[in-house]
Amino acid sequence: MSANHEDSESSQTAMTSKPSASSLPPPEKPNAIQTRFGVVAAFWAVILFLGFPIWWKTTSIYRAELPIQEMLDWAGGKSCRPVFPLEIRFDTPSLPDLEAQQLLRITQHTLDDLNEFSAHHLRLKLADEEAQQATEKADTALTVRLLAQDDLSSPRSLLDADTTTLDVFYPPSQIPPPSSSISPLSSYIAGELQRLFAEEKAIMAHILSNNAMGANVNTPQSPNSQAQQQISPQLAESITRRLRRSMKYAETYHLAFSLFTPGSAPSSWDIESAVQAYISPLVQVLSPISNFTIDTQVQLYASFSPTTPPPEYDETQQVWTLKEENLSAFINAAEWPLNPSIGSGPTINFILYVPAPSQSPLLVNEGKATSWIIPQWGGVFILNPPSIPTSESTKGNPPHLPANALTPAFLTFSHQLLSLLGTPQTPTSLPLRLQTLIRIRAATLLLSASSTMGSLARLTESLPSIPIPATVASSVSATLSHLSSACDSLRQGRFMAALASARVAETEAERSFFEKSMVGQMYFPDEHKVAVYLPLLGPIGVPLVLGLVKEIRRVVVGWKARRG
Amino acid sequence: MNTFFLLSLILVALSVGSAASNYHENLHLQPLPPSNLLASFNFKSNTTQSSFEKQHFQYFPRALGQILQHANTRELHLRFTSGRWDSESWGSRPWNGAKEGGTGVELWAWIEAPDDETAFSKWITLTQSLSGLFCASLNFIDSTRTTQPVVSFDPAGDHSPSENLHLLHGTLPGEVVCTENLTPFLKLLPCKGKAGVASLLDGHKLFDAAWQSMSIDVRPVCSGPEECLVQVDQTVDIVLDIERSKRPRGNPIPRPIPGDKLVCDTSKSYHTRDTCYPLEQTAEQGWSITELFGRSISGSCPLTDSESSNEDAVCLHISPVREVRSSPDSVETKWTNDFTRCFSLPPSIPFDLTVPEQASAAHVPLDQPVLHAERTIVGHGQERGGMRIIFNNPSNEKSVDFIYFETLPWFLRPYIHTLQATMTGPDGIRRQVPTSEIIKETFYRPGVDRERGTQLELALSLPPASTVTLTYDFEKAILRYTEYPPDANRGFNVAPAVIKVDAPQTGRPIYLRTTSLLLPLPTPDFSMPYNVIILTSTVIALAFGSIFNLLVRRFVTADEAVALRAQTFRGRIGGKIVALRDRIRGKSSKVE
Repeated sequence: MSANHEDSESSQTAMTSKPSASSLPPPEKPNAIQTRFGVVAAFWAVILFLGFPIWWKTTSIYRAELPIQEMLDWAGGKSCRPVFPLEIRFDTPSLPDLEAQQLLRITQHTLDDLNEFSAHHLRLKLADEEAQQATEKADTALTVRLLAQDDLSSPRSLLDADTTTLDVFYPPSQIPPPSSSISPLSSYIAGELQRLFAEEKAIMAHILSNNAMGANVNTPQSPNSQAQQQISPQLAESITRRLRRSMKYAETYHLAFSLFTPGSAPSSWDIESAVQAYISPLVQVLSPISNFTIDTQVQLYASFSPTTPPPEYDETQQVWTLKEENLSAFINAAEWPLNPSIGSGPTINFILYVPAPSQSPLLVNEGKATSWIIPQWGGVFILNPPSIPTSESTKGNPPHLPANALTPAFLTFSHQLLSLLGTPQTPTSLPLRLQTLIRIRAATLLLSASSTMGSLARLTESLPSIPIPATVASSVSATLSHLSSACDSLRQGRFMAALASARVAETEAERSFFEKSMVGQMYFPDEHKVAVYLPLLGPIGVPLVLGLVKEIRRVVVGWKARRG
Repeated sequence: MNTFFLLSLILVALSVGSAASNYHENLHLQPLPPSNLLASFNFKSNTTQSSFEKQHFQYFPRALGQILQHANTRELHLRFTSGRWDSESWGSRPWNGAKEGGTGVELWAWIEAPDDETAFSKWITLTQSLSGLFCASLNFIDSTRTTQPVVSFDPAGDHSPSENLHLLHGTLPGEVVCTENLTPFLKLLPCKGKAGVASLLDGHKLFDAAWQSMSIDVRPVCSGPEECLVQVDQTVDIVLDIERSKRPRGNPIPRPIPGDKLVCDTSKSYHTRDTCYPLEQTAEQGWSITELFGRSISGSCPLTDSESSNEDAVCLHISPVREVRSSPDSVETKWTNDFTRCFSLPPSIPFDLTVPEQASAAHVPLDQPVLHAERTIVGHGQERGGMRIIFNNPSNEKSVDFIYFETLPWFLRPYIHTLQATMTGPDGIRRQVPTSEIIKETFYRPGVDRERGTQLELALSLPPASTVTLTYDFEKAILRYTEYPPDANRGFNVAPAVIKVDAPQTGRPIYLRTTSLLLPLPTPDFSMPYNVIILTSTVIALAFGSIFNLLVRRFVTADEAVALRAQTFRGRIGGKIVALRDRIRGKSSKVE
C-alpha cells in the first residue's frame, strides 16, 4: 500500500514538474527524513556496537598483566639490597665466658673499623651462644678455635685445608683485661679474618659494582669505590679476568674429557680410574651448587686446522713450541667432534692432546707451560708421553696411557674445573672456597634474574604488539617471590637457601624471557593489512560516511534554523 | 653356490665383529655387468654395555652414543640411499638388501618406553638429534610419516625380554643424500677416513655413483647374560660406472669417441668411412682403485687390533683367470672359493689394486634375485588415481612367501575394497584371481587426515614362475593453502614399499625396496586468497552500496535534479563548465 502511495506521489511530482524545466521538487515529508535518519543511525549502530567490538576482539593480542613497576624496581636495585653477613663462631674452650665475650667484643669492633665495604661484613658469635638459638640459624662460615699455648711470644694461626676451622694459638698473657678496648690478640684475629675474606670481598664488590642493583647498595657516599680502592690493581685485574672466563651458572654441567692425537696412538687410556680418582671427589663436593655428568671419548687422526700456524722447533732446548698468541686457534672446531652434550646445560670440555712423536715434546712458548684454559669453554693439557720404538727406525707413541701417566693431566683438569666454575683462589681451604663460591653464585644469580626481569619489563613496554601469555605472568610472579626469599635468606646469612631460591628465580626468569609464543608471532606488515581491508572497506565506507555527514549537516542546519 | 659364499663371507665378518675385537673394517669389490663395479665398505666397532652406559667412549662415536642414551633407543637403523639398484643386470642386492633403505632417508628404531606416547616423544627426540648430527631433514619425520610396522622388521640385536620395546619407522623419500651427510658419517669412524679403506670415500665419487647406500646400525650383542656389547655397524655400498669414474677430475665432461677409435661392425651393408654400427665391447674393462676413486688407500687403520682381521681388509670378487696386480707390500690370500681374493693392507703405505684390461674373461656368475617388484601410480586426472604393484617370481620350482609393507601419506586415501589381483601363470595367460588366493594376511591401519599416514602390511605367497599384479584405487586429498610446499607442482613423494622375503635356509630375511613415487596433487593458483578477497569484497560492496543508496537517497525527476543542483554553489560551477565545454565542441565541429 505504501508503494502505491509512493508511486502516485512520484507520478504527481513528475507531472507537476513537466511544464517548467527548473522547478524545484516539493520539500520532503518529515517522516521520510525521519526514516532516512533512522536508517543511517541503524547502520552506524551496527558498525559501532557490533562490527567494531568483533573486529577489536578478534584482532587484539592477549597481554597478561605484568607487575612492570615491581620488575623495574628489582632491576634497579630498589627492592633488594644484597648483604652478606658472614657468621664466624668463636670456640674458646680455655677461656672463661666473660673474657671470651670481652675478646669477641673488641675483635668485632676492630673488624668493623677495618671493613669499608658494608654489604659484606663478618659477625662474630660465641659457640655456646650459637647453640642456644636453634631457630633461624645462619650458616656458619668459619669456626675460630682459640687455643692457648705457653711457649709463644705472639699469636699464630693455622687454617685447616679440609674443614672450615681456623686454629689460633696465642700466649695466655695476651688475653685482654676486662676494661681495655684494644688488645694485640684481637687485632691479630681481626687482621687474619680480614685477610681470609679479602678476595671474596673484592669479588663481591666487583660483581655488585658492575650492576645497577649493586651500584645502589651503599648510597649516598658509595663506599663501594672506597672498597675498590682498597683492592690492589693486580687483584682487581685478576678478578676481572677470572670472572670473564668462568662459565655462566647452570643447574647441570656436562664434563667432556677427550683424548686427541694426530696419529693412531695412543688409542686407549685408563680413563675410568682417572675420573674416579681426580674428578668424582670434586664433583661430589660441588654437588650442592650444580649437578655434573661426565663423558669421555678418544679421537684419533685429529689434525690442526690448515689456518693454524704449526708449532716451531726450538733448536736450543730441543722442544717444539706453540706461540701463546696462536693458542686460540689450537682447537680445530670444524673437524674435531666436540659437539656439546645432549640435554640442558653447558658442556665443559677438557682436552688431553698427545702430539705426534715427530713433534714431541710440545710446549707453549712462554713459561714452557703445557696447559691452558679456554674462557667459558674448557681446558687443554698437552701430554708428552715417552715415545717407544715401534719398528726398526721409527718411534711412536705408546698405544695405551696408564693411570699414572694421566695423573698430572687430571690434577690440572680438576684445577681448571674449579677456576672455570668461578671458585676464588684463596684461601687454601677448599670448603671455604666452595662456601665463597656459593655466595658468589647466589649473588650473581640474584643480579642476573633481577636484570632479566628489568629487560622483560622494558621489552613488553617497548613492543606493544607482542602477546604476553599467562605462563609468562606466572613465571614472573614466581621469579619475584623467589627473588625476595633469596634476598631475605641472604640477609639472614643462610646462603645455601639463598642459592636455592636464586636458582629457581633464574630458571623462571629465563623461562619467561625466552617464552616461544612471545616471539613466534606472525608478522603482517601494514601494507598487507591495507591490501586486505581496503577492497571491502573502501566501497562500503564511502556511502556510509557520506550519509552520516549529510545527516549531521542537516541536523546542524535544522538546529541553527530553530535557534535563529 | 655364489650365494653361499657371499653369505659365508658376511657371516665370517659378523662373527669377527662380535668377538672381542673392538674395531674391524673391510672393503669388497665386485665387477658387475656391463661395466660397473660394486664397492662395499663395512666398518664395525663396539663397546661394552657398561662403558656405554657410563659414557666412556673409545671407538664408539660419542655423539651417536649420547643421542641413543638420551632417546632410550636400544637399536637403531638409519639409511641414506640414492639411485636405483638394477636387479635385472646386477642380480641380487648386496647384504641381501639388509643394509639399504628406500630412496632418501629411512630410519627405524626400537625404543624402550612404558607406553606408546612416551615412545613417540622419545622418537621425536631421536629424529631431531639425528637430524642435527647428520645434517639431514630427519626432523621432518613427524606423526604423519611415522608408522609402527607389525611384521616387516625384526630386531637384529639381543634384547632382554623385560624391556618394553617399541618399533617406530619413518621415511623421508624426498631427501637428497649428498656430501653433507657423508662428512658426519666419516667423523663417526675411529680412523676418520684418514687411514684404512675409508680413505677412499670422497663425496665427489660417492654421490656420482649409479646407486649408493649408506647405513648405520646400532644393536646390542650379548654373548652371556651380563656380557653385552653395543655394536655400531656402518656400511657404504656404491655401484660405480667404471667408464664414468675413470674420467679425469680436471676434465670431467664426457666427449664422443673419435671416429677412428670406434669399433664398427664391418659386415653391415651401410658400413662406410662415416657410417658405423658400433660393436658391443667384448673385452673386460681394466681399472684400478686410484683411477676409480681418485686416490689410493692410505695404509691400514691400525686400530684393527689382531693381525687376522687385517687379512681380509680388501677383497675382490672376480673371475680367477683375471690378472690382478696389487702394491708390493700387501699379502694376497686366495680363499677356498675361487672367485674371492683378499689382500691385507700395509701400515701407513699407500695401497693400490690394478685389474688390467683383458679380452673376454669369464664372468662371475651372479645370483638371481628371489623376487622382482615394481610399483607405479596409474590413472589420470586430479581427483582419483590407482596404485599398481607387480610381483614376479622368477623361480620355476619354489613359491615365494613375503611381506609387503607400504606407508602412504595421508593425502593419498586408498580404497582397500578395490584391491584386485591378476595373475599371469607359467602358461602366459592373464586372469583375475581372488585376492585371498594370494594374500594370506592383511594388516591395515587407515590414515587420519593430518595426523597419520596409511599403513598397509600384506603377507603374500607367489606360486612359481608367475607374475601377480595388485591394483587398488585411491583418492587425492585437497590440501590447505599453507600445506603446499614451495615446489607444489613437482608432485609429492610417496615412500618406497618394503618387501621382506623370508629365507629359512639362511635365517636372515631378504629385503627389497621399490622405487619412490611422485604423486601429482591438485594444486591451486597461489594468488587465490587475494583474488577471493578482492572478488567477495567487490560483490559485498556492490550489494551493500545499492541497498544503502536505495534506503537513504531521495528520488526526484531529472528536471528536479537539475534544479536542485543549480541551487548549490558546486552545481552552478558545474553548469558553467558544461556550457564552456559545449561551446568549444560546437566550435570544433564547425571547423570540421
